[in-house]
Amino acid sequence: MDEPTSTFSLLGLTFTWTTVISTLLAMTVVVLLAVFLTRKVAIRPSRGQNVIEYVLDFVRGILGDQLPNNLARQFGLYSFTLFLFLVVSNEMGLLLQVKTASDVTLIKSPTADPLIAFSLAIMSLMLAHATGVKTLGLGGYLKNMFLKPYAAMFPLNVVEQVTNFLTLALRLFGNIFAGELMLNLLASMAFSLNGFGWIIALPLEMAWQAFSLLIGGIQAYVFVMLTAVFTAQLSGEE
Amino acid sequence: MAQTLLMTKAMPLGDMVFIIVAFLLLMVILKNVAYGPLTKVLDQRADKINKDLDEAEQKNQDAASLVEQRQKELSDSKNQASQMITVAKKSAKEQSDALIQAANTQVAGMRQSAQEDAAQMKDDAMNTAKKDVADLSVTIASKLIQKELSADDQRALIDAYLAELGQQ
Repeated sequence: MDEPTSTFSLLGLTFTWTTVISTLLAMTVVVLLAVFLTRKVAIRPSRGQNVIEYVLDFVRGILGDQLPNNLARQFGLYSFTLFLFLVVSNEMGLLLQVKTASDVTLIKSPTADPLIAFSLAIMSLMLAHATGVKTLGLGGYLKNMFLKPYAAMFPLNVVEQVTNFLTLALRLFGNIFAGELMLNLLASMAFSLNGFGWIIALPLEMAWQAFSLLIGGIQAYVFVMLTAVFTAQLSGEE
Repeated sequence: MAQTLLMTKAMPLGDMVFIIVAFLLLMVILKNVAYGPLTKVLDQRADKINKDLDEAEQKNQDAASLVEQRQKELSDSKNQASQMITVAKKSAKEQSDALIQAANTQVAGMRQSAQEDAAQMKDDAMNTAKKDVADLSVTIASKLIQKELSADDQRALIDAYLAELGQQ
């Protein structure tokens, strides 16, 4: 966390190069992937279309399990985008990490940055709360959030809302950050032990990368699912 | 250290705004590139499948009613055929009966005319024989008695004798 960073200012706001570059790279990959897989969209799907249709179906499945039909349809695009972005973001750091000579990271998994994880969590929860207000009205929404199942639960409910936010963000960040940290440690181990460290480090690195691939997919799934769960809770659908 | 702390304090807002705006942009792009076309095609596919299923059901029903119709036609034509056979048998029998009857009539007519002919011939033969016997008798008698009798008288005598014979 104390890594050196490189920032720039625009319109009075400060931006971090790592965040900007990594996020843009991940999004570019998502867009290229989407364009490539949907070149020829037809009723009889081609191979590429099958892949992205499977992803869409998977996301729809997550939503369908948690939300009523109309909400599931409204959240389709958001969850689809979120899932693709998270998968690409989570796996990106496994393949590509770029640092400048002065040890400033330019490219890594965007989701290994707590700020990005928090931003995504804030965005998801804002959407969930907005959906709650829209579905139940402001009074119903507040009552549903704080006074259920009975009024005495109020303090616990307040705590729950805070922990919801923290766990959503920290689970994503923690998993991906820890994964990358381990990869970096293993990589530095490869250069130790008089140059023979790689004999131990290489198989470990491979195993850890495989595990991180799995973790990255699971975390993308969990984030999308929890967004749907919170939305369902906040709009009184349980 | 104080510098870094200050920087990390200053960082969040800009990055957050950037991420959220970039994400919304990504959503718009994906909607146009992938999500929109895909959902459209998925809906079209669902529609097509529904339509095809309905059509298949309709065709099945049509086929079933066609089979029923064919069955009915088949049994109709069977009935018709057996009726025709019955009629044909009946008319054939009538015809053969008529033929047999005609043949019987003809045979009876022929037999009667043959009997009549035979009777006629018998009468003729009898008459001729009578005449010959009479003549012969006359000749014999004239030879026997050496007396010239009138042929007519002799004949009358013979006839009377023969009539007497016939009565016995």
